[in-house]
Amino acid sequence: MKEPFAKLSPFHVNPDSILETFGLKEDDFASASGEEKESMVEMHKSISYWQDALRRFRANTVSMVALFVFLLCLVFAFIGPMLIPYDYSEQYRSSQKLGPMEYSKNEETIRALSKNVEAFYATGLRPGSLTALSKGNYVISYKGKTYAFTLEKALDKSVIVMQSDAEDPLRLVKESNIKDGVYTDYTAIAYTETAAEDATVLKLRTYVFPHVFGTDSQGRDIMARTMYGARVSIIIGVVAALIVLVIGSLYGAISGLCGGPVDFVMMRIVELIYSIPEVLIVLLLQVVLKDPLQAWFQSGTSGFVKAMSDLGAGIVSIFITFAVLYWVTMARIIRGQVLQLKKQEYVTAATALGASNTRIIAKHLLPNCIGPLVITTCLQIPSAIFLESFLSFLGLGVSAPMASLGSLCSDALETITLYPYRLVFPAVILTIIVLTLNLVGDGLRDALDPRLKK
Amino acid sequence: MVAYILKRVAGSIAILLLIMVVTFLLMNAIPGSPFLTEKSTPEQIALAEAKYGLDKPLYVQLWNYIKNYCVGDLGTSLKMQEGTPVKDIIFHQGKFALSIKLGACALVIAVLIGIPLGCIAAYYRGSWIDGLLRVLTTVGVAVPTFVLAALLLVVFSVNLNWFPTLSGSLPDAKSYVLPVISLSFYYTCYIAKLMRTSMLDAIHQDYIRTAKAKGVKTHILVLKHALRNSLIPVITYLGPVLAGIITGSFVVESTFSIPGLGKYFVQCVLSRDYPVIMATTVVLSALVIFMMLIVDITYKLVDPRITLTAKEE
Repeated sequence: MKEPFAKLSPFHVNPDSILETFGLKEDDFASASGEEKESMVEMHKSISYWQDALRRFRANTVSMVALFVFLLCLVFAFIGPMLIPYDYSEQYRSSQKLGPMEYSKNEETIRALSKNVEAFYATGLRPGSLTALSKGNYVISYKGKTYAFTLEKALDKSVIVMQSDAEDPLRLVKESNIKDGVYTDYTAIAYTETAAEDATVLKLRTYVFPHVFGTDSQGRDIMARTMYGARVSIIIGVVAALIVLVIGSLYGAISGLCGGPVDFVMMRIVELIYSIPEVLIVLLLQVVLKDPLQAWFQSGTSGFVKAMSDLGAGIVSIFITFAVLYWVTMARIIRGQVLQLKKQEYVTAATALGASNTRIIAKHLLPNCIGPLVITTCLQIPSAIFLESFLSFLGLGVSAPMASLGSLCSDALETITLYPYRLVFPAVILTIIVLTLNLVGDGLRDALDPRLKK
Repeated sequence: MVAYILKRVAGSIAILLLIMVVTFLLMNAIPGSPFLTEKSTPEQIALAEAKYGLDKPLYVQLWNYIKNYCVGDLGTSLKMQEGTPVKDIIFHQGKFALSIKLGACALVIAVLIGIPLGCIAAYYRGSWIDGLLRVLTTVGVAVPTFVLAALLLVVFSVNLNWFPTLSGSLPDAKSYVLPVISLSFYYTCYIAKLMRTSMLDAIHQDYIRTAKAKGVKTHILVLKHALRNSLIPVITYLGPVLAGIITGSFVVESTFSIPGLGKYFVQCVLSRDYPVIMATTVVLSALVIFMMLIVDITYKLVDPRITLTAKEE
């Protein structure tokens, strides 16, 4: 029966022969059993937006390296000052104008001595304009023991040497009696174990710490100053970026949400500020704000005013400048984002289902704005550091003895032909901080912006 | 088109007026008088203030400024060069010309080097050339202008003695080299980065694939088809570049001791010479705003897709 039928119609195909041709079995077309269905379902652990972003950021080698280097800079700026015995504002009179890793004559002598004694206190290593210990009561704590003693007259060009196992552990050595690291003559200091109340604590040292980056013309340690300057610069950058974040995002969000005439007016204001050449105004602002801020610092007694006056007029006016002029980019980005999100179907759906404005902002708009917010804030930090260093360079930012990386560069420029290394260290740190922050910001943009996902 | 240009010009004038008002208020917010010195008596100060009209109410002073500026009278200097018309200080003593020459050179260099570098990086994408340029431009936008200027000064002027240490009034071509490099370096790098991104965007467009399929040679494809479209973001960036170059000129002119307008502006702000501050701010702002205007108009001319009258989204 089959054969003739097949011949009749060229389109009729024998089902058996099809199965044979494609190597299929008859039960291949049976409906799948429950077990089979289950094996087809692939279970993936759901990944949240942040986990996804973190994964992408981790995969970005350049950004990870940049982040690591930036963390090193943070350690340098914030933990570094605790590890070195020098302070950014202390002037070491005998150690002026030293090159990197150089020792002054005085330090050289004591350094040689330090290799042969347990611990010491050298008057020559004291900071400040007076290198002598004035007369009075002093106390030294060493290996759990207290040594209190009284100086009858001021002590100059001398070293107090500790020899804890000897019968006369405290020894007073004149610097002139030190030859090639060995002291030839000393007088024992009489001590008691209970300190007088007004006793000044002396800290013994076991080595002379080198001036790794050298010292400046006033004998200040450049590494300590660079650490401090880096800290000031980073703090300025972060605070300025936060100011921009708060003002810019609020302004942009209000403008985008309200829409209509409110948006129109608000955006004209943004355009106006945007087209002002801001640096001209910034320079004027810096000069204008100086005296009123000083007056404000002196009049106020609250904690906030005190904190501000610790920062100094230069830094506070930089913050004010950012609050007045630099938030416009952030406002534009956030407004654009809000406008775009407002038109999305899920927002319409939420509105139709009766969600309140607060809920829409908190659940839909805010989470979707976080990406651009983080990216813009992160990239704002280096630009704030740039502006601060520019102003300090022109002599308008932070004032001495405070330091920022910009003011250090500016100070170094005066003596650049004689001491070029004074410029190199702060400049390199400044460049590294800005560079790594830029790279981290770029990495964050790639990680957080789903539009670049491919 | 004409309507658009007129609208923009009107807007620019409004912004300039606003800048005048803001500058005026800021100047007057500085406590004390510009004539206050340790030696001067209150009578002397009052006399000097009366002479220059500083005793009049603020709105009268402001109105006088605006009225005089409209007829091209920029007032006379109070302190820096007492009695000299500000117009002479800015335009006839060569300050403005000097800054303009320096800025124009920097702008031209940034464009002429930045754009080709960006094209090359995009063309050789993924190769070592691209990698090298990426490192260079990324580091380039992280080096502050004053650091670069100082380093160039030390290496090439002090140590190698190739260029003069004090550029002065830029008497010869040699004295231009270091200031122009320091001023343009950041923007060269930035434009190169921008150009690379926008060129890569353009290369992936459909019309490029079509042209390629039709057998257009690669270099013509890049130079003719892709370049035109990828130039638009670079053009929009030129306004901010000019503003930045003026900012940079403050630093560069100080470092290389060039007696230009940038250096002068910082000095007159610090010495509180009101008419000079006002004039310099207005001249520099006018320059920037004028450039922004030209950029905007060019931008709309270059890209026919942008309609002139349509409301921006």
